[in-house]
Amino acid sequence: MRGLALLAAASAAVVALPGALAGGPNADPGVTAKEVLIGGTTPLTGEASAGSGTAVGAEAYFKYVNARGGVNGRSIKYTYLDDGYDPGRAVQATRQLVQQENVFAIFNSLGTTQNLAVRPYLNQVGVPHLFIASGYGGWARDASRYPLSMGFIPTYTAEGKLYARDLLKRRPRAKIAVLYQDDDYGRELLAALESGLGAKKRLIVAKQSYDSTATDIQSQVAKLRSSRADVFMNFAFGKFAIQGFVYANRLAWKPALAYVNAVAASTPVMSIASEGGLNKRTDGAITAAFFKDPAAPAFAKDKGIALFRSIVRKYIPRGDVRNGYYLAGMASAYSFVDALKKAGKNPTRRSLMAAMLKLDEKTNPFVLPGITVKTGSKDRRPLEQARLQRWQKDHWVPVGRVLAAK
Amino acid sequence: MSARWAILAGKVVALVLFAVFLALLPNWISDIRAQQFAYVGIFFIAILGLNIVTGYAGQISLGHGAFMAIGGYTTAILVSGGPKALPGFAEGSEYLNLWPDFLEGGFKDLYTIPIGALVAGIAGLAFGLPALRLPGLYLALVTFGFAIAVPQVIRYLDGVSGGTAGIQLFGNPNLTGATANKVDLPGRTVTFNEWLYHLTWAIALVLLVVAWILLASRFGRALRAVRDNEVAAAASGISLARYKTLAFGVSAVYAGIAGSLYAIANTFVNPETFRADLSLALVIGAAVAGLGWLSGLFVGALFVYFLENVASLDFLPNGIESALKTPGVPDMVYGVVLIAVMLALPFGVGGGLTRLFRPITNRLYTRGS
Amino acid sequence: MADLVQQVVAGLASGGIFASLALALVLIYRATGIVNFAQGELAMVSTFVSWELIERGLAFWLAFFLTLAISFVIGVVIERVVIRPVEGRPVLTGVIVTLGLLVFCNGFAFWVWGGDVKNYPSGFSTRTIDVAGVAISVQDLGVIAVTLVAVALLYAFFQLTKLGLGMRAAALNPDASRLVGIRVGWMLALGWGLAAVLGAISGMLVAPTVLLDPNMMRPVLLYAIAAAVLGGLTSPGGAVVGGLALGVTLNLLTAYGDVPSSLRLPVALALILVVLLIRPAGLFGRVALRRV
Repeated sequence: MRGLALLAAASAAVVALPGALAGGPNADPGVTAKEVLIGGTTPLTGEASAGSGTAVGAEAYFKYVNARGGVNGRSIKYTYLDDGYDPGRAVQATRQLVQQENVFAIFNSLGTTQNLAVRPYLNQVGVPHLFIASGYGGWARDASRYPLSMGFIPTYTAEGKLYARDLLKRRPRAKIAVLYQDDDYGRELLAALESGLGAKKRLIVAKQSYDSTATDIQSQVAKLRSSRADVFMNFAFGKFAIQGFVYANRLAWKPALAYVNAVAASTPVMSIASEGGLNKRTDGAITAAFFKDPAAPAFAKDKGIALFRSIVRKYIPRGDVRNGYYLAGMASAYSFVDALKKAGKNPTRRSLMAAMLKLDEKTNPFVLPGITVKTGSKDRRPLEQARLQRWQKDHWVPVGRVLAAK
Repeated sequence: MSARWAILAGKVVALVLFAVFLALLPNWISDIRAQQFAYVGIFFIAILGLNIVTGYAGQISLGHGAFMAIGGYTTAILVSGGPKALPGFAEGSEYLNLWPDFLEGGFKDLYTIPIGALVAGIAGLAFGLPALRLPGLYLALVTFGFAIAVPQVIRYLDGVSGGTAGIQLFGNPNLTGATANKVDLPGRTVTFNEWLYHLTWAIALVLLVVAWILLASRFGRALRAVRDNEVAAAASGISLARYKTLAFGVSAVYAGIAGSLYAIANTFVNPETFRADLSLALVIGAAVAGLGWLSGLFVGALFVYFLENVASLDFLPNGIESALKTPGVPDMVYGVVLIAVMLALPFGVGGGLTRLFRPITNRLYTRGS
Repeated sequence: MADLVQQVVAGLASGGIFASLALALVLIYRATGIVNFAQGELAMVSTFVSWELIERGLAFWLAFFLTLAISFVIGVVIERVVIRPVEGRPVLTGVIVTLGLLVFCNGFAFWVWGGDVKNYPSGFSTRTIDVAGVAISVQDLGVIAVTLVAVALLYAFFQLTKLGLGMRAAALNPDASRLVGIRVGWMLALGWGLAAVLGAISGMLVAPTVLLDPNMMRPVLLYAIAAAVLGGLTSPGGAVVGGLALGVTLNLLTAYGDVPSSLRLPVALALILVVLLIRPAGLFGRVALRRV
């Protein structure tokens, strides 16, 4: 009952947009003759602050585009506000962006809970809620109710299933131990793994979760070790992912195979985990990737990575050219620019959303070769492909071909 | 005799002017600014409550964010009516079994405020026991522990609280400000921001008057006696157990109301919102406001809100604005300003104001003799 | 059985981390009557300082001791500049000032070094000893050993040296101390300096495990406060016992008692509360408590 009312409200909002535009071709807020203003929230401080690299990277890319004339004569100005990973602050900051800064669209806000908090509001006031930096499956799933919200990266569920499929191929009789963060992110990955294993779910012999307020997870890894599993699913986040490998080493647990979730699998993190090469537990660890790794030798001569490096050097002072979060942000920014171009000479929120649902990019320089950024009116997941890669000593090496990640 | 009445009259006039100022403020500021001031009002209420137990009764509480959490979640759970509003990540979640039927439809948000207050107040009363047995600093640490523990417990009880995903209230018809735009009140239509502003400040003013009367009464005198010298207070027949417990209870009620309003304002609750940082921010705000005085509360609340949300100070010149957006810099400024305020105004703004007016009050008091 | 012992060992390792910071907290409390909420953040900044030195080529132990010296100075300076002016004031003012320090230090670290996790070398070997199927990491042993040595040194300092005696006197009765010629102000500054040193030691010991970033000491602080309160805020030995006991108890509860990981902290705090209600001064502490 309530859902219908909301759907009606959302439809009314979208339908009402032309009315709001009656004043002229650029009657939408955030668009002037010279500039398009977009905004988002990101954890500049707090425990997830590494993720804010996506905002920094995206901003750098927009500056690069602006230096080349922008889009249809307009510069893109991207404002991002710190929410400290607190959804309450994300709500307040988003409202400020919409009501005080009058942004054209919300772009690249980070965090599942943070975006869940603002989604109904943005859909009701008719502000496009684009390229959400989170792999939660609900962005696309709930599109009929929240048509203005859209994700970008493959979902955590798709990722977990990918690992399940790969594992069944490599080691059909594995004994699996799972380490996961005790929140919706970790639980979604675990659920995806279980669902992907299907009847073979009982291959999972140990599951240990940790809370992000823990100081160390030696206890959890010790329990995983005592299960004598030979496959380690490291669905931990940030420093806990590192500790997972470090303790496996210290406690003399030698799983034959390890998987690491994509968000934790950046080269800097894995480098620390491999303890300068001393920790062999990271060798051969597998993860899913959809962006090029700026630190991987495989892409050392890649044109897209060369572009990435030049943008970082020019527009991010003190920036690390190996930072994968910057690159992820640039990938989103590229697709946004792509859509903005397609939105026409005088973009409106409506034309932007229409363009968003017609993406078909094979030229995104930051996405792995072979992966297309594609959307359609029934397909609201821009990225649905991934490729596996293995950690070899101190860098990632791509393995196999591009796989579907649905 | 006349001196006291004169001073009282002065305070009443100040209060009335304050109320008039608040009533008129939305006309002079932008809509979104009104919303920000609504949040200031929420902090005002919470800090006022904290002042009662820490400033007037002398019992240090570093856990008032937890009482806000209790109030906020009570409101969210009652308004949403339960699991249907929970985003729920896993399909086929087990939440649905836990919900009693009579709560299904949810309650109107305004009615949940007193309930949130009550639940928080009961939790506050429970602190009477440790307050009685533990010396000041240990009590502070136990309350700090409470501040940390409550969000964790909320996450654990995810069948009731929605866990890390929280509870989404936006669009819920029980919310008076259900839509983002217009709120239909009898007689007028206002924006959501104005509604929020007037709601929080109306409640804040009422609570301020209530606190003022309470603190000027025998109850307040007993609290101050407990604060100043427990032995003497007990020797004069004041029950430490009763007044410490009541002080915690009353102050928790205030924090609970602030928490309920916070849930209504954010239209969303989540354990992260009520982290220990919130409790610390309240203590900081109370100290800046001046513990033991009511006059500085507005400044204290302003301090806490705007320094935490530096980006909203968009009237600052561009250079300063971008410097403040560099990660780490706002916190550095916050820390420095806080320490400077404590050094310069050790009794907070309230104490400072009292000192400022001392020449006048002294003159009045000694006029008769 | 080996699993149980392993969990106990893991608990002692965690407990060692808590205990090392708890020591610093206890020292400041004994010397100045304040609980320093910024202790963890100061330790974190000290650790970053040592990291900078190591990055610039210094050998680990050289950087370690140099950082201790720098931390001592920082501690003294903070006491003189920030704490001294609020000395006679109510307890809460001191608490607020340390909260301000906490916020400032966290922001400072973010600003200078950024939020990404940094690699931090261990002063001890990363080897693991195997004792009948139980893996004991040398790193963890090192943390506990250094902490115990620090307790012993502190004890010797306070009980056996004149300076230590002076510090105790200054904390207990500043006025009388002044009368006998003790320079109370400098005693307090010394207390802060020493606590900063202890904090730096703690940070540098635990950084290889909890990994270096601006928020590394936040969770440690909570457990360290719990450990200190459990052991008694005035007892360094109590803080260590409290920390180790806390680590082991929590591990056993979560590993075997079905306590989910999100409830570790609340359980720890509930335990503290129960202990305090029975013994308000903690297990080993002493507090003048007047029953009225």
